[in-house]
Amino acid sequence: MTPAKIENVFLEVMTSQQGIIKKILAGKFAIEEFVAETSIFETCPFLFGTLELLPEKESFLMEGMVITSKNKEYNIDLELFKDNNEITILIHNRTNVYKIVNELNQNRNDLFFLKREISEKNKELAILRKASDKANEEKSRFLAIMSHEVRNPLNTILGYTNMIAEENLSDKVKEYVGYLAFSGKNLKVIVDDILDLSRIEAGKLELALEEINVNKIVQSNFINFKNQHKNEFVVLEISTSGKIPETLIGDGVRVNQILANLMNNALKFTKEGKVSIQTEVISENKKTAEIRFKISDTGRGMTDEQTAKIFEEYRQTELDDNRVFGGAGLGLSIVKRLVSTMNGSITVASTLNVGTTFSVEIPFKKVLKTIQKPIIENEKSTVKSLKGKRILLADDDLLNQKITSHILNKEDVIITVVKNGLEALEILNKQDFDLAILDINMPEITGDTLIQQKSTFKKNNQIPFLALTGNATQEHKENYLKIGFTDVIFKPYKFDELIGKIEGCL
Amino acid sequence: MIAKKVLLVGNFGVGKTSLIRQFVLNEFSEDYISTIGVRVSTKIVNLNDEQIKLLIWDVAGTKDDEKVPKAYFLGASAAMYVFDLNREETYLNLKNQLKNVKELSGLKEILLVGNKKDLLTTNEIEEVKKIIEIPVDLITSAKENENVEDAFAILAKQSLK
Repeated sequence: MTPAKIENVFLEVMTSQQGIIKKILAGKFAIEEFVAETSIFETCPFLFGTLELLPEKESFLMEGMVITSKNKEYNIDLELFKDNNEITILIHNRTNVYKIVNELNQNRNDLFFLKREISEKNKELAILRKASDKANEEKSRFLAIMSHEVRNPLNTILGYTNMIAEENLSDKVKEYVGYLAFSGKNLKVIVDDILDLSRIEAGKLELALEEINVNKIVQSNFINFKNQHKNEFVVLEISTSGKIPETLIGDGVRVNQILANLMNNALKFTKEGKVSIQTEVISENKKTAEIRFKISDTGRGMTDEQTAKIFEEYRQTELDDNRVFGGAGLGLSIVKRLVSTMNGSITVASTLNVGTTFSVEIPFKKVLKTIQKPIIENEKSTVKSLKGKRILLADDDLLNQKITSHILNKEDVIITVVKNGLEALEILNKQDFDLAILDINMPEITGDTLIQQKSTFKKNNQIPFLALTGNATQEHKENYLKIGFTDVIFKPYKFDELIGKIEGCL
Repeated sequence: MIAKKVLLVGNFGVGKTSLIRQFVLNEFSEDYISTIGVRVSTKIVNLNDEQIKLLIWDVAGTKDDEKVPKAYFLGASAAMYVFDLNREETYLNLKNQLKNVKELSGLKEILLVGNKKDLLTTNEIEEVKKIIEIPVDLITSAKENENVEDAFAILAKQSLK
């Protein structure tokens, strides 16, 4: 006798070839749906067309069919056996088994479609990314061009402002010229910042790995600010740690830029009290030394809300600050990105009306070699006289020619001016010079093309060549040095900067 | 009334159940629920003033290397092979798939239907047709109810042959 539990999961019926149920042989599964002398097709429509075609005396399996009993669906497997005109059908309730199979199938298929969706989304993202990269590149290119184009007129504005300032002026005019100079310098900072930011964003900022003296960078930065500092109510203090290794590997120009930005900021917002800069070693091992730079002020400080947003672009603590203090509000954002590129960190602690402290922590590599190369200082130690030196200036911009000539004439040099690369080439083949200053973007022959022909010059192929350019990036500078220039000067330049560069070359 | 058993076969997720639901119930659902085993739906269609009861077998979708059990085809009068126009793997091996179905069913003709036309542009559909190389009988969209009636009408016609 079959146990009741098993009886409930199967049903054995006998039908005619036309599907008429003749007998219930065994089992109880869905028994209500199978009534003698009714058609089995009512409950099992899938058997229609099958029964008459069944092979004789051979077991025939049908798996995974669905029937409905008492409004509930069941998955069944069937075994059919035809003998003469009688068909025995064994129906197994396999709902539980199929439920698991179904879940597995569903999961497999869901996974398949999910994978597909992700892959499609990835493709879409890749297209968007490409478009965005292209747009970003375009933006960077535009900013680089814009920056270059702005530098030329800016050089003229600043140059002539300096030239006017040297004249005998009334106090009123002197004051106005002072404003002009201030705004011009401010504009230069903005142009530099925009270019820097676009380069950082485009991932094109490459840090130089050179031997640097961190304390000397801090000191020279400090001296620079001290010399320009005019507010007698603010004291400037410096404290450097003697424990910092004398030589470390890093990008001195960018470290200086970080410190200058923070010092500038501190001085900008401090009306009285103190601005200080200090250095200390946080950690050190054989290979690296982590240095902390702290710039503190007793300025107006910030609220927590302002502090939280301080590193965002185009933001100074209040909107009006742009007008009062100048700048595009990019400085701190650039500082943060530069520090981050150096694998360092920057934090700020500030209390409103008490002051602010910026802490920059940068890990530097140590010099592993025992023999250390002497560090080249930016500042010249001795002042050379340029009197009587024969200098060729090749620049197509008449206004810039005049400014450069004005600066050089003050040094009593013998200056020859030409207005394009072709004229420069001709004169370099004929006349002897001590130094040549070549503008890069010149008609006929550009400065960079000309320098590459240096070895073919009949004369002057051993003299120093100074590149004059608005392409104020490190890559451009490196490229100009690589193709044969002795040094590079970026527009707009200060008078003493140009003289310093010439002296350095001679 | 004549009754005819017809089958819909093809890869999983190509829209066989959706085509049947659209044809029988005029419904479409974005949710994907994989079919298990076989589900049979019925619909009476008129063909040349004659009523035919179609027993439509919705056979669980397969993967490329899986074959539909031979038992399913016993007594089948016609079969539709459905592929997804938007899923390359469902139509790249069509020649072999159709050959298999023909062998299993003993049917001479298999109706070839490309579904989900709503997901592609006309040009993209033409590109798919070029890749397939063999003629596609009908391009359908179960979602937009495009050519669904026609597909089953052709299937019904084929079932009478």
